[in-house]
Amino acid sequence: MVGRPIYFISTFVIMSFCYVFFLTFFNEGQPNKMPIGVVDLDNSSLSRQFARNLESTQQVKTVMRLNSHKEAREEMQLGNIYAFVEIKRHFANDVISNRRPPITFYINDGYLIAGSLIAKDITYMSAATSIGMQRKILRAKGLDETRIKGIIQPIAMDTHLIGNPWANYGTYLLNVILPGMLQIMVLMMTVFPIGVEYKERTTREWLDGSGNAMLPALAGKLVPYTIIFTILGVIGNILLYKYMRYPLNSSIGWMFLATFFLVISSQAVGILFIGITPVLRDGVTFAGLFGTLGITFAGSTFPIEQMPAATRILSDLFPIHHYFNIYVDQALNGVEIHHSFISYIAMLSFMILPLFVFFRLKNAAISQNYPTK
Amino acid sequence: MSKHRKFISILKDTLNVLKIEFRTLFKDRGVVIMLVLAPLAYPILYCSLYKNETLIDVPIAAVDCSRSQESRELLRHIDATQNVEIESRFNTLAEAKEAYNAKKVHGVVYIPADFSKKLASGEQTTVSIYCDISSFMYYRIINQACSNCVLAMSNQVQIERLNANGITGQAATIISSPIPYNGVILYNEGAGFASFLMPAILILIIFQTLFLGIGMIAGTSRGENRFHVLVSSSVHRGGTIRVIIGKSICYFVLYAAWSFFILSITPRLFNLPHIGIPADVMMLMVPFLLATIFFSMTVSVFLPHRETGMVVFMFMTLILLFLSGVSWPQSNINGFWRAFAWIFPSTSGVQGYIKINTLGADLHHISFEYFSLWIQSIVYFGTTCWAYHWQIKKSSKSAKELAEESDTI
Repeated sequence: MVGRPIYFISTFVIMSFCYVFFLTFFNEGQPNKMPIGVVDLDNSSLSRQFARNLESTQQVKTVMRLNSHKEAREEMQLGNIYAFVEIKRHFANDVISNRRPPITFYINDGYLIAGSLIAKDITYMSAATSIGMQRKILRAKGLDETRIKGIIQPIAMDTHLIGNPWANYGTYLLNVILPGMLQIMVLMMTVFPIGVEYKERTTREWLDGSGNAMLPALAGKLVPYTIIFTILGVIGNILLYKYMRYPLNSSIGWMFLATFFLVISSQAVGILFIGITPVLRDGVTFAGLFGTLGITFAGSTFPIEQMPAATRILSDLFPIHHYFNIYVDQALNGVEIHHSFISYIAMLSFMILPLFVFFRLKNAAISQNYPTK
Repeated sequence: MSKHRKFISILKDTLNVLKIEFRTLFKDRGVVIMLVLAPLAYPILYCSLYKNETLIDVPIAAVDCSRSQESRELLRHIDATQNVEIESRFNTLAEAKEAYNAKKVHGVVYIPADFSKKLASGEQTTVSIYCDISSFMYYRIINQACSNCVLAMSNQVQIERLNANGITGQAATIISSPIPYNGVILYNEGAGFASFLMPAILILIIFQTLFLGIGMIAGTSRGENRFHVLVSSSVHRGGTIRVIIGKSICYFVLYAAWSFFILSITPRLFNLPHIGIPADVMMLMVPFLLATIFFSMTVSVFLPHRETGMVVFMFMTLILLFLSGVSWPQSNINGFWRAFAWIFPSTSGVQGYIKINTLGADLHHISFEYFSLWIQSIVYFGTTCWAYHWQIKKSSKSAKELAEESDTI
């Protein structure tokens, strides 16, 4: 294992790079102060006040003042701003003379995440401005404060986010992506070390080393990776839940266990892939396709339930999907552990996969009857 | 040799390299999978997975402690939205929580016992929403559907209360919304998930399959070659540029066709945004493909075996997706990673394509991306020449040594 750089790179180097990359990339948690533009055709104290108020929101920053709708739309197409607010001429005058001048804002949902977060903040600020105006008029009419409150917003709504009260965007992503990266590398580093023996026709020596028994030969090859990747995965868990302090509403031990199961179930899938042919390049191709698809099938980006029906069954064939369920139940929602048993058992059941190719691998190792090209 | 004849010989060599490259490409099953099958199958596969642009009838639970006409009306409105569906009703929050924990519902609407009483007495009342946030989509959809219904009902009550205070007609309308505001969504009007993410994925499919395919071809010829060098001396006959041009024409021709299919046909098949001018997309693809090809050829020199590229670079797909600045906005990527992102042609490729195809920008709007890709094409062509020259020199040297060895024997 120490001979070629690929073994070291594909374990320690790549996983460390992933941790450093994702944790520094998302360290803000939420994208704050995203650039927007203001088209203020009124340029009155009221419209300027509104533009200033926008500045005080968390996720919006006015980076440019524009002279026309066309100019603003072009800046949007250039990608310099994700939204712009348009305030019509005579805005302040119209407000005072009760002509109900509108505030219109345009959101670029081509960048959906940026767009929807910005829309939330601008809507909030527009509503606040309108309410401020309402309050002024009602006070002038001589109503008392409790009545005014009841008129301004008869029904309020408060939204509670279960488990992730800060709606931290990094939490959504990293809890799936880091284990997602781990399973890709586990798959690769199961297929590669086994496949390379077949490719270089050194399988007989490999088997000799373990007294011609396949099981110890496989174990001897893979157990070091089980240990290395479990340690790397546990480091990932610690980084997420202790260092970044992402929501953890259960014992971290359950996440460690899930990580360990993710490693061994991915290894089992890897053995299946290399056992089918057993040609290294096919194994690597399968592993790569499966590993990348796993991120989609985990179910974090777009819920599996809302994908085509067949997808739901397919998603069960990916260990990472069960890992994701455990994360949601344990780390995020903190439900009783018995809800998660089924997911742990599902991950363990991947361990029967190597049985299907066990004899194929053994025969191929002895008779070396497979294409090398 | 006259200039004229030399030119003919260079042309012949180049065509020879091109012919050999095409032949190796289609003879090798792994390469066919990577460079032919994957770029055709992947767009279809991913588009089908993300076919549903938004969430439809997400099951939620209702806890109606008010049991009044008003609370029932509000719940009816929520149930009637396209995005959520009231799947079950409970008497207490604890029961609803159990249904949530068992993953039967993804959210809860809670209406307090004094809801209708407060509505009648002119006070403010509060409705609570509990959202599953295991996926950003659940939170967005549930929150949006509920708040739209609550706001609509709230506005209705507002008018009634104004009337009760003797403010009616036009005056009531003015007070209920003195400054009306409205948000207009552009370029992805349905706020669809596929319309947002798929364009970036399409470009990354082109980039990664081309990158890994070229790595595979290079790794194979090194693995099989007697001297473990990239280009065997029988092919190049001493001309670095001929080899590079010959090979890159092969990849370019193939991927020009794929790009047309992936970027112009797929969006129409799956109803993704496609408001850009097709000719502009093709103009962008020229430097994008060239930059990608030369980038890949440069890196491929360092891959000792055909499988190495896959093992070591597969994981980069996701990192490139984030670096491209589509999901996490580019404006919020810190300086270091933004510079790092610029090394990869995929970043400018994704941004350029989205701006043309989704936002309807013209070529002159994306001059930054366009020129970046040309600069990358030139720089990576230079590095490819250097790397191949080094490899070819190595190959001739080892060939010479071998010849000398056999002489002494």
